[in-house]
Amino acid sequence: MSNIVEINNLTKKYANKTALDNVNLNIERGKVVGILGPNGSGKTTLIKILTGLLRQTSGEVLIDGNKVGVKTKSAVSYLPDRNFLYKWMRIEDACHMYKDFYTDFDEAKFNELLAFMNLNRSMKIDSLSKGMHEKLNLALVLSRNAKLYILDEPIAGVDPVARDQILDAIINNYNEDSSMIITTHLVRDMESMFDEVVFLKDGQIVLTGNAEALREEKAKQIEEIYKEIFGEG
Amino acid sequence: MVKLMKYEIKGTYKILLGILALVLILITGIYMYSRDSSNFLNFGAIFMTLSVLVLFGTSLATFLYIVSSFKNELYEDRGYLTFTLPLTGNQIVGAKLLVAMFWFFILGLAIFLYNLMMISIFSTSEFDFSELFKAVGQVVSVKEIIIGVIGGIFNLANFFILIYFSMALGRVTFRNKKIGGLWFVIFLVLSGLLAFIQVQIIELFPYYFDINTFKMGTMEELYNFEISIGNEVSISSETGIFKLNIASSIYNIIELIVLYLGTAYLIEKKIDL
Amino acid sequence: MEFNSNLPIYIQIMNLIKTKIASGELNGGDKLPSVREFSKEMKVNPNTIQRVYQELEREKLVFTQRGMGTFVTEDTDIIKNLKKDRAAELINQFFLDMGSLGFRIDAIKKMVSEWTNKEESI
Repeated sequence: MSNIVEINNLTKKYANKTALDNVNLNIERGKVVGILGPNGSGKTTLIKILTGLLRQTSGEVLIDGNKVGVKTKSAVSYLPDRNFLYKWMRIEDACHMYKDFYTDFDEAKFNELLAFMNLNRSMKIDSLSKGMHEKLNLALVLSRNAKLYILDEPIAGVDPVARDQILDAIINNYNEDSSMIITTHLVRDMESMFDEVVFLKDGQIVLTGNAEALREEKAKQIEEIYKEIFGEG
Repeated sequence: MVKLMKYEIKGTYKILLGILALVLILITGIYMYSRDSSNFLNFGAIFMTLSVLVLFGTSLATFLYIVSSFKNELYEDRGYLTFTLPLTGNQIVGAKLLVAMFWFFILGLAIFLYNLMMISIFSTSEFDFSELFKAVGQVVSVKEIIIGVIGGIFNLANFFILIYFSMALGRVTFRNKKIGGLWFVIFLVLSGLLAFIQVQIIELFPYYFDINTFKMGTMEELYNFEISIGNEVSISSETGIFKLNIASSIYNIIELIVLYLGTAYLIEKKIDL
Repeated sequence: MEFNSNLPIYIQIMNLIKTKIASGELNGGDKLPSVREFSKEMKVNPNTIQRVYQELEREKLVFTQRGMGTFVTEDTDIIKNLKKDRAAELINQFFLDMGSLGFRIDAIKKMVSEWTNKEESI
C-alpha cells in the first residue's frame, strides 16, 4: 500500500458548527504535503483527528493502514500548535521522556538539533520564549525517525531568525522514506517545501494537487493561488 | 505505564514534598507548644484540635493537588503530550491513579512515623513503644488492622476513580472549558446514586462474612455493630470482629473496575481536546 | 533564493543551473551538489531537486554516475547549443521588451548599432 494516510468521507461536527465536511484525502509515502488555509478553516481539526486528540463524527481515517490508536501514535511524530511539554520539565526531562516513550527517538540527532537551535539541555521549559518553545518542540519531533511527521503551524508567531532556523531544520531533517504533513497560513515562507498542497476552506477541500503542477497550470506561485482562494485579507 | 508514573512523580514530587515538610514542621510546633503549655487542663484539647486541623489541611491540599493534576490533562496543553503518547486509556488512568495512591500512602506513612518519633522525643515519662503496641493490640487485632488498611486503600481508590470518571464525563459532555467545574455536580450525583444502589444491595443481600471465624452470617445476627466505614467494612466495636457485607464488597469491587474502565474508555475514545 | 516568478520552482532552479553552465561558472565535468545538499542550499523539497536533475539529464545537460553523483556534461556541442539557446532567449526577450516600449525593428537596429559604436569607442 503506497498511501501513508487515507481519509475517507471525514466529517467533524461540533454543537454549533461543522469543522470538517466530507473530506477525502490520500497522502502518498515520501511526500511533503501542505495543508493550507486561514485560521478556522479546519486545518487543526484535521490534524487533531489524525493524532487521536479529536474523534470524527463520521468517516474513516487510516494511518499506515491502521485506525488511529496506540499503534498510529507511535508511528506519528506530532508538533502541536502550542507548548505541550509539562511545565515542570527541563529540556533534559523532555528528551528523556521522548526516549522512554518513542523507540524511534534519536538522542544524538536531538543534541545536534538543540545546538543548531541554540538551546541547551538544562533550560527550563517554563522560561522559554514562544520561538524557543517552537524550536525545542520541533527538535524533539524531528529527532524521531517516524513514518509520518505532522507539523501544525510550525512557524506561526515566531521571529524571522527562529523562522529560518525552523525551516532549515525541517529541510535538513526531512527523510525521504517518511512523509510529512504541514499546516500553515504562511504560504510564502513554506511553499517551496511542499510536494502536494491541499487548500482547506470552511472544512472542505477546495483545491488539491501537486504543487509544481498547480504552478504550471495556473502560471502562479502557490501563494498567489492561496490569495485567490481566500481573498487578499 | 510505569514510565508515565515516573514522569508523574517527577512532576509532582516538589510540591508534595513541600506540603509534607510544612506539615512536619507544624506537627513539631504542636508538640513543642503542647509541652511548653503551662495549662495542663487544656493540653489534650489543644493538641487534638491542632492535630486534626493539620491532618485535615494536609489531606485536603494533597487531595486538591492530585485531583487537579488529572483535570489539567483534560483542560490544559499538557494533554496534547499525554494523549498523543503511545499509551492506552487504561495505562494513562492507571498511572494517574497509582501515583495518587502512592502519594497518599507516602504522606500518611511519613506523618504516622513522624508522630511516633515526636511522641518518643517529647513524652515526659519514659515511653515504651512495645507498651503502646500492646495496648493497641488489645483493642484491635493485626488482622483487623490489615483489613482496615486494605479497605481504606480500596475506598480511597474508589473515591479517586469516581472523581476521575466525573471529570472525564464532564469533559466529554461539555466542550466549553468554562463550565468544566460541572464535574463536581456530576461527582455528587454519581456518589449519591452509587451509595443508594449500595444501600439497596445491602438490604437485598444481608449476608456478612466474618473475617475472624470465616463464617457467613446474616444481618440479624449482627445485633451490636456500631461503627461503619463506608458501609463496606463494619466494625463491631464490642466484640472486636470484622464483618464484611459480601454483596456490598462485590459491588464495590465491580464499581471500581467499571469506573476505571469507563474513565479509560472516555479518555481514549471520546475526549475531544 | 526567492521563487517569485510564475514558473514552477523546478524550472526556476533548472534555469539557474543552465545560466551557470552557459556562463562558465560551471564547467563540463563539474560535479553538482547532491540532491540533499542542494535542497538544503535552496531550501526546497528534495523531490523538487530530484526533478531538476531528472529534467536536466533528459536535456542531456548533466549525467549521473551511479554512486558518484551528478555531473555537468562534457559534450562541448551541447554546452555551445545551450549558450545559443540562452542567447536566443535573451534576444527574444529584448525584442519583446523593446516592442512593448513601442520601438519597431528598424529603430531597434539603429539604436543597437549606435550602442555598439559607443561601446567600441570606449
